[in-house]
Amino acid sequence: MSPSEKGTGIYVYCLIKSTGEKKNFGNIGFGGREVYTIDYKDFAPVISMAPLRKYDIEEEDIEVHQSVVRDVMIEHSVIPVAYGMVFKNKKIIFAAISVGYKAIKKAMKKVDNKIELGIKIVQPKDAPEWNGKTDELKLDFLESLKQVAAFSKERRLFSKRLLWNASFLVEREKIDAFSSAVEQLENKYDCLKIQYSGPWPPYNFVDVNILSRRRGGFR
Amino acid sequence: MFIIDDLFLRMLGIELPGLDMIWVMDQLQKYAYAKLYDPEKIKNRIKETRMLYELNEIAPDEYERTNAELLRQLKLALRATEMNLNVRTDILGIGEEYE
Repeated sequence: MSPSEKGTGIYVYCLIKSTGEKKNFGNIGFGGREVYTIDYKDFAPVISMAPLRKYDIEEEDIEVHQSVVRDVMIEHSVIPVAYGMVFKNKKIIFAAISVGYKAIKKAMKKVDNKIELGIKIVQPKDAPEWNGKTDELKLDFLESLKQVAAFSKERRLFSKRLLWNASFLVEREKIDAFSSAVEQLENKYDCLKIQYSGPWPPYNFVDVNILSRRRGGFR
Repeated sequence: MFIIDDLFLRMLGIELPGLDMIWVMDQLQKYAYAKLYDPEKIKNRIKETRMLYELNEIAPDEYERTNAELLRQLKLALRATEMNLNVRTDILGIGEEYE
């Protein structure tokens, strides 16, 4: 055991609604460990045994976390949990859920049967600066897409090339309608690049720190 | 420890020009580190690099190289931020709560 490791703990990837029985997602967890659910009231944390250590920003580790959540969300509505949440035992997980129970219940109601989709409007490379009215452009996108989405959230512009960045929470049955609306906007604004991504876990619509009080710390 | 001593002297109305100079340099150094290791700025660059890669404006090998370097920087930056947070936590005497 390296000095930074303190034995084995339980890593939580996300939360789903309890199905009343243990669900097994296969050996896809850290170190190829089995990923499965343990029930707490009407929720089921998706977990695997994992080293009790600090989960640093390592691409491989982040990919394990993300791919588990991707697999789980194929059939379940998920409440994402922050990367790196490993607990000493079940008791502490249940205590954490119990503390945040109301918030988790509210979050689940919001994301149930929905997925997150992302839209970015990007200024093409070497193109003259977008001379249209950015406010009108944003409004056009927002109004068109809001009609087929349950919730929307404008996000920060992390690049000078970005004109707009937004996430939408969309009911699973309305994904096709949402995609058609995006396609229409793409055709209308063919001088701009539209980046359409997803489905994502609803990272931007629930507090992913739902089980944590301190990022990356183990409990 | 230095800052507490310095503040303590100031509280007593004692000003030491040498110490003040060191204090200013200390603040400047902190400012420079904060600028260099701002996790939010590095996260923005990671997102931008990913976006440009997805738009085929960055070649895969260049993307991998840049991303690895930015992740390395982010790790350092978060460690620096955490170190600052830990100092604050220890002052409050609750640093061991989750260990």
